[in-house]
Amino acid sequence: MATTTTTVTEERAMADTNAKNAGAGASRQAPDASPITLLEKIRSRGRAWEDLAVQYGVTNPDPPWKVSMFSTCEALAVHDCLETLDRRASEDDLSETLYRDIPQPERQLMALAHTMIRRGLVDEEELERRMRQVHERLTSA
Amino acid sequence: MAEKHKAAPMVDEVSDFEILEAAVRELAIEKGLFTADDHRRFTEFAHSIGPLPAARLVAKAWLNPEFKKLALKDGVKASLEVGIDWLNPTGFGTPSDYTDLRVLEDTPKVKHVVVCTLCSCYPRPILGHSPEWYRTPNYRRRLVRWPRQVLAEFGLQLPADVEIRVEDSNQKCRFMVLPMRPAGTDGWSEEQLASIVTRDCMIGVALPHPDRKQDDKRPIHPAVHPIQHDHGHDHDHGH
Repeated sequence: MATTTTTVTEERAMADTNAKNAGAGASRQAPDASPITLLEKIRSRGRAWEDLAVQYGVTNPDPPWKVSMFSTCEALAVHDCLETLDRRASEDDLSETLYRDIPQPERQLMALAHTMIRRGLVDEEELERRMRQVHERLTSA
Repeated sequence: MAEKHKAAPMVDEVSDFEILEAAVRELAIEKGLFTADDHRRFTEFAHSIGPLPAARLVAKAWLNPEFKKLALKDGVKASLEVGIDWLNPTGFGTPSDYTDLRVLEDTPKVKHVVVCTLCSCYPRPILGHSPEWYRTPNYRRRLVRWPRQVLAEFGLQLPADVEIRVEDSNQKCRFMVLPMRPAGTDGWSEEQLASIVTRDCMIGVALPHPDRKQDDKRPIHPAVHPIQHDHGHDHDHGH
């Protein structure tokens, strides 16, 4: 019989300890889970890695950009722009609501972009402009 | 000897998600939230980690009862003894999976195995990257329902009187298994012991064996009934 031993109380205690150790004294912000137009466009037309991998016969389970996304998360945390547990809490909330139907790791990326926009770290319009530039660059070769 | 090379399949399409990842990163760098070098160093770290520190932790616990007590009580503190600081494993920042580590001790009657049913949480700083199968729905969904059957599929047949405990990882707590020290290893050094503690032993889907090491060459067995491949003459599969 499978068992799990981590209780809610224990998790809360660990989270508190982690936050204290990480020097993150600020209280958690519940994310604004209302849809963001740009990200909704990506949701409707974006092709997840699990579809692309099947189409192209690739066996790597992760997209090449996954580690880069992790590094972005870590670099944001180390400079106190977006504290780790705060980001993960936001990601958990958004994963259970707005982005529930998106597979991983695309879901994590969408939650990251969503959180960064809502926190004012990037602006939705400038992100859309930058995406157009990146698209032109990556498809020009 | 030159041989014809057939290119491995590649995804020849730029997805909106790939573009989004690049755009977010580039904007963050331009705004000075972090530097390109910060990002590169984290990426380099992510590609450099492996299971050896965890294997050393197990070997130390086998040899030193006091260290074993520490490992079971405070995995994060014990990790320091094998060079892993969970609060700062890269040496230059807090990682995304900064969390708590719990070491699960196997006994003759209890076998632990680790999973992440939600996604792919894994003790990366001390155990490296998760294997592909760890991230499959097959493993994640079935292990918690039919642990004995799934372990048997890994070749691990456990007696009926051994209880199997499945620990479900989460964003705040990660697990690794401290397997039982196998017979036939009396008098071995820490280095010798660490060499037989493979990644799978610490996930819990395998048991250490004195004849099976981390860096053993994988045997290649000829097929009993070989099938013909369409590119059979282009490659030498024996190397």
